[in-house]
Formats: sequence, C-alpha cells, structure tokens
Amino acid sequence: MNTLLQLSFPLRSDLMTTVRLAAGGVCALKDIDFDTAEDCKVCITECLLMLKHRGYAFANVLFSDGDTLSVRVEGEGVGEETEAPEDELSLALLGALLGDVETFERNGKLFAISFQVTHEGSES
Amino acid sequence: MTESELFQRYRETGDVELRNLIAEQYLHIAAILAKKFVGRGVEYDDLYQVASLALLKGIDRFDERKGLKFSTFITPTITGEIKNYFRDRSRLVHLPRKVSELRTSVLRTADELTKELGKKPTAREIAEKLGVTEEEVLMSAEAGGVVSLDRPAGDDDMNFYDVIPAENDVFERIETHDAVSSAVSELSETEKKLVRCRFTEELSQAETARRMGVSQMYVSRMERKILEKLRERLQKSMAE
Repeated sequence: MNTLLQLSFPLRSDLMTTVRLAAGGVCALKDIDFDTAEDCKVCITECLLMLKHRGYAFANVLFSDGDTLSVRVEGEGVGEETEAPEDELSLALLGALLGDVETFERNGKLFAISFQVTHEGSES
Repeated sequence: MTESELFQRYRETGDVELRNLIAEQYLHIAAILAKKFVGRGVEYDDLYQVASLALLKGIDRFDERKGLKFSTFITPTITGEIKNYFRDRSRLVHLPRKVSELRTSVLRTADELTKELGKKPTAREIAEKLGVTEEEVLMSAEAGGVVSLDRPAGDDDMNFYDVIPAENDVFERIETHDAVSSAVSELSETEKKLVRCRFTEELSQAETARRMGVSQMYVSRMERKILEKLRERLQKSMAE
C-alpha cells in the first residue's frame, strides 16, 4: 500500500472545500469515475464532521494506493466521547456509498475512520 | 410509543395515518441525505422529493422484528434511490452530431432568409440555401434537442426506454433465425451440406471443396447461386 497523499490541517469548516478538492484530484489521478469520486468526497466530509463533533482540533487524511484507493481520516488532539445524532446517519451513509468502512477507537473514543473507494475497474 | 411499537402497529394495521406519523418523524433524514448530494447538477428540491419517496417506500418495507434501527435501515435505501435518480437522469438520447449540426444550420438559415425575403422561409427555400434535401430540413426540425428516455411514449404507461429495441433484439434474432432456417430447408442436400461447411463450420472454400470432393471453383459458383436463392426467398417471406 503506497501513500499517495497525506493532508494535515486544522479541523475547520472553511477548509472542507479544500480537502474535497484534493480528494477529487486524487480520484482523477486514479481514473476513478466522476460519480464515485463525488461519493468519496461526501464520505470524507462525513468523517471530518464526525471527528469535529467529537472535539478534535486537527485532522489527517491519508490516501493510499493499492488494489483500490484507501482513505483514512484521523482526528488529532483530545477527542470527546460525545456522539452527535447525525453520526449514526454519517456512518450509515459511508456504508451505503463506499465499501469496507472501519472505525477505530482510542481510549473508548472514535479517532479514525477508513474506507475503500471501489469503482468500476478496481480489482476488488 | 417507541419506534419499534410504532412500526409494529403500522405493520399490523396498515393505517395510513400511522405511516404519515412515521414519515413526519423521519423526514429530517430525507432532508439531511438530500443535502449531501447537492452540487451534482440536481436541484435540492428534486433530491428532497426523491429522498422523501424513498422514505415512504422504506417505511413499508421496514421490519422492526429484524432488530435494525430504522435510521440505519433507511439511509442506504434513500441513498440508493438518489443514486438511481442520478443514473436515470443520464439516460438521455443525444442527437447524432450530423443531425444536431444541421438543426443549428437550419435555424440560422431560417433567420437569415426571413430577413432576406421579408417572410418566413419554406423548407424548400432553406434546403436550397443549405444544399440539402427538403426531407433533411424537415427531419432536423423534428429533432428538438435532447429527449429523455423517461418521457412517456404514447398514451399507455410505457416510456421511450421501454419501446426502443435493444441493439440485439432477441425477438428480431428469433424471427431472422426462423426465416433463414425455413429458406435453407428448401435447399437440396448438397446445397445444405455446402451451407453447413461454409457458414456453420466456417470452413474456407478450399476446405469445403476438399470435404465435398469437388473443385473450389464449383464451391464458389454454387455458393453464389445458393446465396442468391436464399436472398430471393427471404425477400419473398418478408414481403408476405
């Protein structure tokens, strides 16, 4: 699994568009169709929102290249245990749009989410 | 009443008022999900409508006995419907480029001629100016931009997608097969053998000649005669 791109940034709403643009760029680089790329952008936004609701101040988004494109979104800083009501929807949406969604906890708190961007032509 | 009780009651009674109550309670999910897909070329209102209809369908399909929360169940259902909507919207019939270009030229020429002649031009006048046939002008006038395959075709419930034949129309293939079989059955045994070698086994003329113990020239002449005969019979059967 090769790292394609890693973004580290303060978890602020005004930076979401930049992250989405970068995600679109990575998808284009991997010849991922437009619709799947849009789904990937939605999923990254959902992950960032979930981390933001938990009080993380920074986030890392890691795009890795294997049989499929893997994305891992990680919170940095001190997270809280709180769960916003929309989080459940966010996770369900992730599962509905893309595959192999995994959540990771540290000290009982969600701190990272990963998923695979499967698309026509990917090997899985 | 808990979520589970509400669904249980609705499943048992089918009471529309209960369904409306459930729908109102979960309509916010349709709104949230519709918003996630804004910016892909479809208005929010349309997406909200699609999501709301999916919510209603989902309420009817949900079985609380399976232990799943409704919000977990409905999210993929609504997302799926929205994605189907995006997919269906791309099912548009685009005009062939030639027709599309001709249509643009016809419209431009019609404008020019209106100014030149001081009256609206006829199809013949436009055709003469463009150096195309009158039929081509009329055909391009009929071809108005793009047409959705979801547009109703006729008075019944069919849309264009339902009535346009597939590229490999299975009925057409069966009909063709029947017609050819019937035409071949009227050939002599030697002719049938040649058809089998050349068109079923796809042997070369030289191999066919060897197999039949005749010259390649004979196979070539016989093949031409057989094809003419078959063509004639097929044309006759089509005319019938």
